[in-house]
Amino acid sequence: MEAPRTRGLSRRALSSGNVGAVLERGFTVIRNQNWMILVSGFFEPVFYLLAMGIGMGGLVGEVTGPAGEPIPYAAYIAPALLATSAMNGAIYDSTWNVFFKLRFAKLYQAMLQTSLGPLDVALGEILMALFRGFLYALGFLGVLAVMGLVTSWWSLLMVPVAVLIAFGFAALGMGITSYMKTFQQMDLINFVMLPMFLFSATLYPISVYPEPIQWFVMAMPLWHGVELMRQLSFGHFTGATLVHVLYFVGMTVLGLGLTTVRLRKLFLR
Amino acid sequence: MTEHVRTELDPAALAYSGRAPGHTVMAARARARGTWFYAETVLRGMRAYFWPIMLYAVGQPLLYMVAMGIGLGTLVSSGVGSVDGVDYLTFVAPALLVSTVVMSVSGEMTYPVMQGFKWQRLYYGPVSTPVSPGQIALGHLLAVVIRFLVQSTIFWLIMLAFGAAPSGWSWLVVPIGVLTATAFGAPLQAYASTLTDEGFQFSFIQRFVVMPMFLFAGTFFPLSAMPTYLHWIGWISPVWHGTELARLASYGAPMSPLMLVVHLAFLLACTVTGMLLAVRFYTRRLRS
Repeated sequence: MEAPRTRGLSRRALSSGNVGAVLERGFTVIRNQNWMILVSGFFEPVFYLLAMGIGMGGLVGEVTGPAGEPIPYAAYIAPALLATSAMNGAIYDSTWNVFFKLRFAKLYQAMLQTSLGPLDVALGEILMALFRGFLYALGFLGVLAVMGLVTSWWSLLMVPVAVLIAFGFAALGMGITSYMKTFQQMDLINFVMLPMFLFSATLYPISVYPEPIQWFVMAMPLWHGVELMRQLSFGHFTGATLVHVLYFVGMTVLGLGLTTVRLRKLFLR
Repeated sequence: MTEHVRTELDPAALAYSGRAPGHTVMAARARARGTWFYAETVLRGMRAYFWPIMLYAVGQPLLYMVAMGIGLGTLVSSGVGSVDGVDYLTFVAPALLVSTVVMSVSGEMTYPVMQGFKWQRLYYGPVSTPVSPGQIALGHLLAVVIRFLVQSTIFWLIMLAFGAAPSGWSWLVVPIGVLTATAFGAPLQAYASTLTDEGFQFSFIQRFVVMPMFLFAGTFFPLSAMPTYLHWIGWISPVWHGTELARLASYGAPMSPLMLVVHLAFLLACTVTGMLLAVRFYTRRLRS
């Protein structure tokens, strides 16, 4: 005799295992509509690198690298810009995009009328964000190589790590977006992202701040991404490396859980 | 019910009650002051976003001043020391004012213009009154200018609080910031008014015009810090011309009288051309 279902938190209620259908739709949209927007996003970190690396580099000179050695300013900010670009791409895809699909296009409602479960939808959307992050990371690494800023074979690991960073941001971003109802609330995302970009040791070390502010910065996800990328780009690792990686693993798990629960709550009540 | 409608909504009854002017007087007023009427409409619309706008107007300068001026300034002072004869915060502050208003104006003169023509068709109500399409175009711009007058003033006050505006003439950065915003905003408004589908043009402008202008037009470092073949980006950018003027006002950066005229003429020319084109395109689109 079968036991009665307990509020259906079984795997089958969450997923039909058909993430591929969501991905297929995502790639069709890119091919037909917005590949230009996708491609143009690659230029933003490159512009930052050129302007800050060349222009500011002239004013700043050399700075201290992760192992305490003097490095050119461009080499200092390049890994940070890659981490930022992974964050931006993932956040854009998993917040504004999701917001439109959720509140205006009612796309998820349509998807969940089929055999797709909320976990399929969440994973599919997040994987699309990761695909974008992967492309940008690959392109950016190419630019770094051309500019002579790749100094270690460890740099190749920056691509999968960019995907990990994007995974964390995309998973959490989509979960948070599910709470948003108006454009004004969406603006709050910028209020979080801009300071995080400015203060996370991207353009200068956080040692310029008093200690309490340093602790605050260290609690933010982008700082961990920036530090991780910087360590990779110079092949210099410490005990903190593992902490940075685990931070994003935790963020991803938490985000995926939140997003799935939220989509269930929104559509399958 | 009918009594209520008669007294409140029937314009004739309102006119005969002695509380309202007649049709012709109202029409003449709208014709004479349509620009202000439309600006008022836009400003009242902005009230819905009052707190986000204020948070932005105060928060953004604070963040940039601390991050770029003080944080990045620490690196600069251990690198070359001073830039342009002043510390880095003083050097970068007037440029940040100009850049941030220009970045905001690019938000105000793109999607909201599309909203006026297409998404919410806000322009089509006023144009069915004696208010002309040109007045709608200029009224929209005027409202945005008023917003940036407030935003620039807040930024200037924050500069003062940080001790980053030593000259007695530093208040001039406010009109300079507004003029630069118009020099970029008016042509952008004219362009946005010609678009009929919400394609990717606006994100392209953001990525390939606004962002490079922020990064390459002398905001964070003098143009001379870049290779010569990149200097043209500054020359054709309103941001560079505005920034140079703002630096003159803020800390008395060296400038020849000829260049003063060139900077002002460039910004004024962009503004006037943009306004003329906007009036023309709005008229063509709203009257056809």
